Amino acid sequence: MNIWRHELRSLSKSTLIWTVALSLGVIVFLSMFPAFTKDIETSQKLLNNFPPALRSALGISLKSFFTIYGFFAYLFTFITLAGAIQAMNLGVGTISKEISGKTIDFLLTKPISRAKVISAKLLATLSCLVFTNIIFSLTALICAKIVSTESFSSLTFLLVSATFFLVQLFFLALGSVFTVIISKIKSVIAVSLPTVFAFFVVSELGAILGNENVRYITPFKFFDPIYTINHNAYELRFLLIEIVFVLICILLTYVIYEKKDIRAAA
Amino acid sequence: MNIIETKNLTKSYGKSRGIIDVNLDIEEGEIFGFIGPNGAGKSTFIRTLLTLIYPTSGSATIFGKDVVTSGPEIKEEIGYLPSEVFYYDDMKVIDLLRYSGSFYKQKSSNDIEKRIKELADLLDLDLKKQIDDLSYGNKKKVGIIQGLLHEPKLIILDEPTGGLDPLIQQKFFNLLREENKRGATILFSSHILSEVQKLCQRVAIIKEGKIIKVEKVSSLVDNNYKRFKLETVSGVTKQYFADLSGVSDLKISGNSISFLYRGRINDVTKKIAELDLSNMLVEEPDLEEIFLHYYQKEK
Repeated sequence: MNIWRHELRSLSKSTLIWTVALSLGVIVFLSMFPAFTKDIETSQKLLNNFPPALRSALGISLKSFFTIYGFFAYLFTFITLAGAIQAMNLGVGTISKEISGKTIDFLLTKPISRAKVISAKLLATLSCLVFTNIIFSLTALICAKIVSTESFSSLTFLLVSATFFLVQLFFLALGSVFTVIISKIKSVIAVSLPTVFAFFVVSELGAILGNENVRYITPFKFFDPIYTINHNAYELRFLLIEIVFVLICILLTYVIYEKKDIRAAA
Repeated sequence: MNIIETKNLTKSYGKSRGIIDVNLDIEEGEIFGFIGPNGAGKSTFIRTLLTLIYPTSGSATIFGKDVVTSGPEIKEEIGYLPSEVFYYDDMKVIDLLRYSGSFYKQKSSNDIEKRIKELADLLDLDLKKQIDDLSYGNKKKVGIIQGLLHEPKLIILDEPTGGLDPLIQQKFFNLLREENKRGATILFSSHILSEVQKLCQRVAIIKEGKIIKVEKVSSLVDNNYKRFKLETVSGVTKQYFADLSGVSDLKISGNSISFLYRGRINDVTKKIAELDLSNMLVEEPDLEEIFLHYYQKEK
């Protein structure tokens, strides 16, 4: 518990900044909803003029864009990209900072197993993500309630916004594995940004080219908001892929870290 | 009882050398020195004991328990001070020390708090400062307190004195002697022999990953070796002393002769008596000389 507390303290500032930034983003964006829906026909015409490839890259579905879900889902493409970076930074940073800051000797000569160190650190990062998600989702929901002219299901809305958490979980897990595999990470951003963008570019290319198989390899496309809106559920296949992937990453993190030699700081 | 026991402990990192077949027993209540030049394997040995790295083969036990399988349990009673200390820069000294203390579940936080204050007073360290603002020497003091605040049964020090001024070093050594009197066993690694000579009772000399000698400091220094320095009236051939067994590190320049001698004193005095001397000096060699001698002999 002491490591968990220690980590939370050191992560609190950045988590707060991310949470505020993401929430502000959703507030600003959702407040534009009335402007779009005031004159649906004009807006629809405008969007119709967009090339279909661009529309699908932006995640705009003409059928649902003018509902609050659809509008929110559109925003989601970009919000999740930001959220993925936050999660990947947490995953990569929390374990690797002990090595780059050379505090690992201090920590691992204490009477605590490496598995417990990992558990505490993962739990701390998870706590940060849960915090961000609760604030973010509530902010989004409240905004949506205010701007939407028609009534909508809060459950469906929250299901869509919870995919934010699922994407973050994917990158948190991936980030942790990276830190135990890569021997020395000098800069967290240098690892996390390219990785997140690589996945993002793949998902965008897939959307533009209309390649459905891409969905299996990029978490940005695991949870199609349109499907979630229509079925009030996630696609089981992709939920399973996510769960299996996250579990494997976490398991690998434990196993590799347990056996890793911590070389002298030089 | 042996506090530390290693059996053919070996650690190799690919090409570069680690340690090879280290067999070492360190008894309860000892201050045990571990000397060798940089890169000889001192840190590798210590890091293996602390399971920061894992042995390639062989085994090590501390308090009779295997270090690999019982690591966390053993560390409850170990205090470790590395040669270079790194802590969380954004923390205050007192918060770091409390964090450090919070790992030792057998100690109450009151005891730890008291101990932190005591040690900080003794070493003259300001607990309210930010770690980031500390000088190297002051960071080292944080390291000392961090290593001793839970009153460990085994204290492992890896070249601990770098960056400490002589006054603090003196206090630090006194502190270690007190801990030792209290019953703590101490493993003290260093490449500075005078330190080891001052503090330790037994010493292991490590070279290129192998232990080449384990001996009492007193017997290393006291009986065995004498440094002879002679001035003769007329020159002497190198052969004259080289013939005598027990002579090493023989140096002759002009009329000055210098060598280390280990053996029967009568043998050497007889030999010297035959010379026409103008001056003679017999002294205890310091550990440094003996150490160098070991190193040269083994080459």
